[in-house]
Amino acid sequence: MNFQLSDEQNLIRNMVRSFAEQEIAPSAAERDEEERFDRELMFDKLGELGLAGMIIPEQFGGAGADYISYAIAVEELSRVCASTGVTLSAHLSLCANPIYTFGSDQQKQTYLVPLAEGTKLGAFALTETNAGSDAGGTKTTAVLDADEWLINGSKIFTTNGGEADTYIVFARTDQEAEKHHGISAFTVEKGTPGFSFGKKEKKMGIRSSPTLELVFENCRIPKANLLGEEGQGFRIAMKTLDGGRIGIAAQALGIAQGALDASVAYSKERKQFDVPITAFQGVQFQLADMATQVEAARLVVYNAAYRASHGLGYSKESAMAKLFASETAMKVTTQAVQVHGGYGYTRDFPVERMMRDAKITEIYEGTSEIQRMVIGSLLVK
Amino acid sequence: MKILVCVKQVPDMESKFRVNDGGKWYDEADLALRMNEYDEYAVEQAVQLKEQVGEADVTILSIGSDRVKETMKKALAMGCDRGVHVVDDTSYAKDPFEIASIIAAFAKDHSFDMIFTGMQSQDRGSAQVGVLVAEILGMSSISTIVEFTFDNGQVTARRELEGGLKAIVKAKAPALMTCQLGLNTPRYPTLPNIMKAKKKELLSVEVATLLQVDAVQETTRMYFPEKKGGGIVLEGDVGNMVNEIINILKDKTGVLT
Repeated sequence: MNFQLSDEQNLIRNMVRSFAEQEIAPSAAERDEEERFDRELMFDKLGELGLAGMIIPEQFGGAGADYISYAIAVEELSRVCASTGVTLSAHLSLCANPIYTFGSDQQKQTYLVPLAEGTKLGAFALTETNAGSDAGGTKTTAVLDADEWLINGSKIFTTNGGEADTYIVFARTDQEAEKHHGISAFTVEKGTPGFSFGKKEKKMGIRSSPTLELVFENCRIPKANLLGEEGQGFRIAMKTLDGGRIGIAAQALGIAQGALDASVAYSKERKQFDVPITAFQGVQFQLADMATQVEAARLVVYNAAYRASHGLGYSKESAMAKLFASETAMKVTTQAVQVHGGYGYTRDFPVERMMRDAKITEIYEGTSEIQRMVIGSLLVK
Repeated sequence: MKILVCVKQVPDMESKFRVNDGGKWYDEADLALRMNEYDEYAVEQAVQLKEQVGEADVTILSIGSDRVKETMKKALAMGCDRGVHVVDDTSYAKDPFEIASIIAAFAKDHSFDMIFTGMQSQDRGSAQVGVLVAEILGMSSISTIVEFTFDNGQVTARRELEGGLKAIVKAKAPALMTCQLGLNTPRYPTLPNIMKAKKKELLSVEVATLLQVDAVQETTRMYFPEKKGGGIVLEGDVGNMVNEIINILKDKTGVLT
């Protein structure tokens, strides 16, 4: 067993860390405050660095890197800006990757290549008002009308919504079938008549990442935009989320690492009773607990990523990674605010933002409760 | 055009340093390692020169243990074409003349048109290796450059001098440049280039085949400067303080007798 990263993985970490610290970090607080997405900074530049399609093979415009490298990239971005981390994760895990896995050759050429090259941004639209954890409750419909699918309905909480060019949309194509079997997946391009954007959510955290409602009113897309087979949508969604969990787990890990780093740096500077607060064992113990949890989270996240890269089953491991890393992020960022004291509660220090950002990782792409259900059902099946 | 770039792997300067058991170098355990900052400018300038002239081959050379390969791969990912790793587990103990002789011994048969090195390494900081290489090879060198242009076999470089002065220096290729902060902004090694770097040639050469000289310097001791005392603060009446200062200067210095 070897816990050492390869030279390439180290180079990728160093490259993404330099980029994140020099270019992403300086505006992170301001973008959060203004709830502003900066496409050039948060996506186009990732494309220039070859990150937008990093796990997609070279023949489809990607870089052919492994899942550990991908986890490292999302981790390093999220260490300074969780919004940038989720932009990449939603684009790559939830949009480019299912097109690579389930798309036809034609769909790969048309949709995957520009996504992987970073010239187009992707999004994934599954959640509806009454279909959250219960994705089988999808009400949006797609009806075949000659050579076109006619889509009607709406989707909520779409990450990269409004900004993305290519959307994977899930809709019910068979009203008669058992609820999980009547859903299909489609690719829909921004600008298609009948496809518009609704409300932009005002969120607690990841405020620089846009979360929008998508509205479909007699939206017509070519018949060939069906992804995979008719009725396969639920399976595509679940398989996609297995991989997506590694991205969100890596995002959570990065948030936790960022909060730990900020806490260590702050506590060395901050003096109380004439000494740096690191002189107090009470503070050292908090830092020790935070560091230990972050280290454990890193191991479960990289293990899930390793399995995904090596053709080993990873549904359980990615659910464990997502569950553990997101709960670690919440705990560690809360402790980070505590270490910072009153200053940690202000927006002058980054840990306040990190604590708000951490919460969503326990909710999206499967709540902690859903992860426990996945893990539990795999244990007893 | 053949270009050589020499790079050194050094600790991250944010690291916590300790003197090693031998007392002549720092303890390398637990240090995060990276490419010497000035060497990054050298790599970037070499790659820019290659892009300018079109037909060029850039060799990256590094001396050290196996772990320097990671730094070499970064240079390859930034656009260098091939690597030569001079395998030497005790390179840290060699003086600048030995290091320069090793590089020159490799370079002499390869007729490089241009050699780029960092202005100095961030750890030893002798700033001697680059200019020594040029001297041994009998080629001209321009040190501490902050601007570089190449036109028709001629280099025009701006160098940084003491006190904020700058100088413009011209030289004909072959020539060696030592690169200073401000010369350029090193590019990020993009992910596809990191992946491609894996496939580039990286030759290993044993140091013994290149080293034919003895050291001319020896580091006898490495140490942290001793902490100075807190100083003496005088308070109270000005006249009394003046008398106290005079007494202190008499007692503890040779300034007054």
